[in-house]
Amino acid sequence: MPDGIREIECLATVRLLWDYLDSELDETRMREVEHHLAACQACLPHAVFGQRLLDALHAIRDRHAMPPTVRAEVVAALRAAGYSRGP
Amino acid sequence: MGNAQGTSTSDPDLVPQVADRRDGGSSKDESFTRDALPWMEDVYRFAHSLTHETADAQDIVQETYLRAFRSWHTFEPGSDCRRWLFTICRNAFLRSRQRTRLEVEVTDADADAIAGAREHGAMIADGTDRLLATLDLGPALDRAVAGLDAPFRAAVILVDVEDQSYEAAAQILGVPIGTVRSRLFRARRQLQQQLREYARDAGLDPSAGPGQERGDA
Repeated sequence: MPDGIREIECLATVRLLWDYLDSELDETRMREVEHHLAACQACLPHAVFGQRLLDALHAIRDRHAMPPTVRAEVVAALRAAGYSRGP
Repeated sequence: MGNAQGTSTSDPDLVPQVADRRDGGSSKDESFTRDALPWMEDVYRFAHSLTHETADAQDIVQETYLRAFRSWHTFEPGSDCRRWLFTICRNAFLRSRQRTRLEVEVTDADADAIAGAREHGAMIADGTDRLLATLDLGPALDRAVAGLDAPFRAAVILVDVEDQSYEAAAQILGVPIGTVRSRLFRARRQLQQQLREYARDAGLDPSAGPGQERGDA
């Protein structure tokens, strides 16, 4: 067991899994989950699947583009409000 | 992940909506162009997650930027402009809905995390996990995210798509961090269930093994 971290069980790991994948845990907790996943063949697939889901969700950025007319319309409205630049 | 940048300490909706010319309109326009306009795509995605309608999202984006421009003097230079814009966007949405609250019953985040793992365990057992590994999740996720209730969709868009921390998302949505966490975990569980359905609806029979379509001999 690496210094400064505790052994955690599968249930605790699963409970912390989304926080871990979102990097929302403190450093010690991150290491504890990481250590458990490295040794547990039952929990690791959940983490791999979770990460794949998050990666696919993040790719929504590339598919949900703003309609091309929006920027021009917003800038026109801003100009009417006193804005004098253009993008 | 997480956003380490700070944010403006002023609530843009609590200050008079007047243009500040103390440093000259040109300087204001320049900083607004540099710091605020580049986030329009991000604001649009968030607005769309709230409204679910393209035309409404466009109106919210325009309202957001007009309010941001009028309140630009309250933005703290160097702080997180995107988070500031998201907050204005969320308030503009609530205003457009006559203060409809983005609130739902708070769920047990830990229970959803555990249930999600159990759901995934069932997917491993019935083979849908292996099947999903061969599929492009994008189209299914687009439909599944669109089908989420607005409060859950907003949490997913902010954290999973726009890379906001739980704390930042909580600030933007005006709810406690625990509420963001519970909405997020419930939403991900629902998305996971939708993906499992997607594998089945794609005409793939889990019992036949990965990559084999139903009906194949």
